[in-house]
Amino acid sequence: MTSNISEIDLQTQLASGGKTELILKNPIMVGSGTFSNGVELSKRFDIDKLGAVVSKGTTLRPRLGNPIPRTVETAAGMLNSIGFQNVGLSAVVNDYAPRWEKWNTPVIVNIMGENFSEYIELVEALDGIPGIAGVEVNISCPNVEAGGLEFGQDPQLAGKLIKAIRSSVQLPILVKLTPSVADPRIVAESVAKAGADALTIFNTIPGMAIDIDKRRPTLGAVFGGLSGPAIKPVALRHVFLVSREMDIPIVASGGVVSGTDVIEFIMAGASAVQVGTATFVKPDAAWQILAELVAWCDSNEVSSLSEIHGAAK
Amino acid sequence: MNRSGLTILDNICLYGTTHLMWLRAGDAYRSALPGQFMMVTCGDSEASYPDPLLGRPMSIYGLDVNEDHVRVGILYDVVGVGTRWLSRRSPGDVLEVLGPLGNGFEPDLGLRNMLLVGGGIGVAPLIWLSEWLVDRGAVVALIAGARSIEGIFPKELLRPEVEFISVTEDGSLGQKGLVTDPYRQLLSWSDQSFACGPDPMFEALHAILLEVRPTTELQALLEARMACGFGVCYSCAVFPKTGGAVKLVCTDGPMINSRTLYG
Ligand SMILES: Cc1cc2nc3c(=O)[nH]c(=O)nc-3n(C[C@H](O)[C@H](O)[C@H](O)COP(=O)(O)OP(=O)(O)OC[C@H]3O[C@@H](n4cnc5c(N)ncnc54)[C@H](O)[C@@H]3O)c2cc1C
Ligand SMILES: Cc1cc2nc3c(=O)[nH]c(=O)nc-3n(C[C@H](O)[C@H](O)[C@H](O)COP(=O)(O)O)c2cc1C
Ligand code: FES
Repeated sequence: MTSNISEIDLQTQLASGGKTELILKNPIMVGSGTFSNGVELSKRFDIDKLGAVVSKGTTLRPRLGNPIPRTVETAAGMLNSIGFQNVGLSAVVNDYAPRWEKWNTPVIVNIMGENFSEYIELVEALDGIPGIAGVEVNISCPNVEAGGLEFGQDPQLAGKLIKAIRSSVQLPILVKLTPSVADPRIVAESVAKAGADALTIFNTIPGMAIDIDKRRPTLGAVFGGLSGPAIKPVALRHVFLVSREMDIPIVASGGVVSGTDVIEFIMAGASAVQVGTATFVKPDAAWQILAELVAWCDSNEVSSLSEIHGAAK
Repeated sequence: MNRSGLTILDNICLYGTTHLMWLRAGDAYRSALPGQFMMVTCGDSEASYPDPLLGRPMSIYGLDVNEDHVRVGILYDVVGVGTRWLSRRSPGDVLEVLGPLGNGFEPDLGLRNMLLVGGGIGVAPLIWLSEWLVDRGAVVALIAGARSIEGIFPKELLRPEVEFISVTEDGSLGQKGLVTDPYRQLLSWSDQSFACGPDPMFEALHAILLEVRPTTELQALLEARMACGFGVCYSCAVFPKTGGAVKLVCTDGPMINSRTLYG
């Protein structure tokens, strides 16, 4: 007998309690910078089926991004150095939020500030806007000069930032961590204590490629972030390490391309996953992965994800 | 935009390192236009991801449509791992292809004399454009340039109505020189131009256009490093020299007017 999506309990909660509640109908999200702002693909596929959509990284003012080439393929993955080409805060609030409001799936705005006050200005402008269900605070982008990683590698600074954001807004707060730390638990604990609702683990891994004909770095910006199937084992370890010690909901990001990847992350302790690079390979990757997840649950007689959540710990 | 498995009908080496492949396509391609492209997965799809991972952008070389079939062609140069893999596929094999994508050429059918310029493999999308224009009553001249004779598209495969001018850098076929030489000569005859090739070629053609025939336009079919091909990754940015807004080659283009790029 084949069950369908409604018979299996796929619901997952990323933020709880009062005004900041964030409940997803299933754990399949699409990751920041790999889905634009969702408008293009929502015309082709049923956006309402997804657990959540995360917007392109948004900055205070529009940005042009980095010089080209901006991507290069690597073994089972790719490097990118897009560098925050984005429409900026006011276009997100005025042009995109009204469209997102019509969707029956939550949209989380990924934000990047160059300094403390920019992050605060961003979240305050997004708080209370219909169509915006939460923020994902990027303290882990390898592709900008200021902000990003500086916060992500310093537990004190990261904690202070999240505390300030928490006290300014009601919105659910996800914090996107960097893989570029010796022990992911330290920053994770610091931002959890500061009031983060959930942790996204993690962003791309800094790397580079060299064009041997030109004898120069391949990417226009020299360094980029590695994503795709190649990084999944690293992401899995970070999720596992953090979830073993903390209760906070974890959103896994790194190399998800199939339903079994999702199962692995859930067994490591993740509450949801983000599909990133896989979308470039197949525009409907997130939908296919959701279908594979359902099929796996079905054939393994799993009726609720809570049965396998953290099972490998 | 539709991703599906297309069956290979034919895959041959046509000249030099350039191969021609025909695929059986679905109805999504019936309305495709010259200059549009597809993302072709160039690795086995048995595993949960293909290797190489990302699709390779390929212009539509030709479209053969009738009541009971649709065939789509690609003309490709073997330059790396993906295109080498493509060259080894056989009829009957199935390729995962996303398409048709992007905005192609927009010829003004009120005009008559059409000048087409292809640099290297840039000739790929122009063959179909030349046929398409001839079918609609235009007079077409096609300039094809390459380093040497090995890179020149076989003239016999063109419609006889198309005037073909080949140029090679080493003089092994046709005029010796660059496509800019015959372009300058033919421009005073032409009402509209269309080009595909490397970026410096567009810039050189645009400079000649401004000098010789500034009242006409040049439609450039751009290349860029792509990851997705449908507007979500922002890999394929072009920064117009005019200082205008950043464009994405895959969704704003690949056809972009030379004035938008260079002023
Ligand atoms: C819109 C568009 C249409 C194209 N149409 C054609 C066509 O009709 N026929 C054809 O032969 N080629 C075409 N190309 C170029 C083609 O996509 C590349 O040659 C191909 O991706 C190389 O793949 P590979 O795995 O063999 O090479 P790789 O091993 O990946 O790289 C070899 C070389 O190819 C170039 N290259 C790699 N990836 C890309 C990419 N995504 N875009 C551009 N260049 C790349 C690199 O600069 C490198 O020097 C087109 C490109 C674009 C953007
Ligand atoms: C082209 C590209 C652009 C990205 N842009 C952003 C971004 O703007 N903000 C962000 O937090 N993460 C960004 N990311 C990181 C992804 O959201 C994701 O965390 C990462 O790619 C790992 O997941 P994956 O292996 O499934 O792609 C980007 C990734 C790619 C490949
Ligand atoms: S190739 Fe991804 S946006 Fe153009």
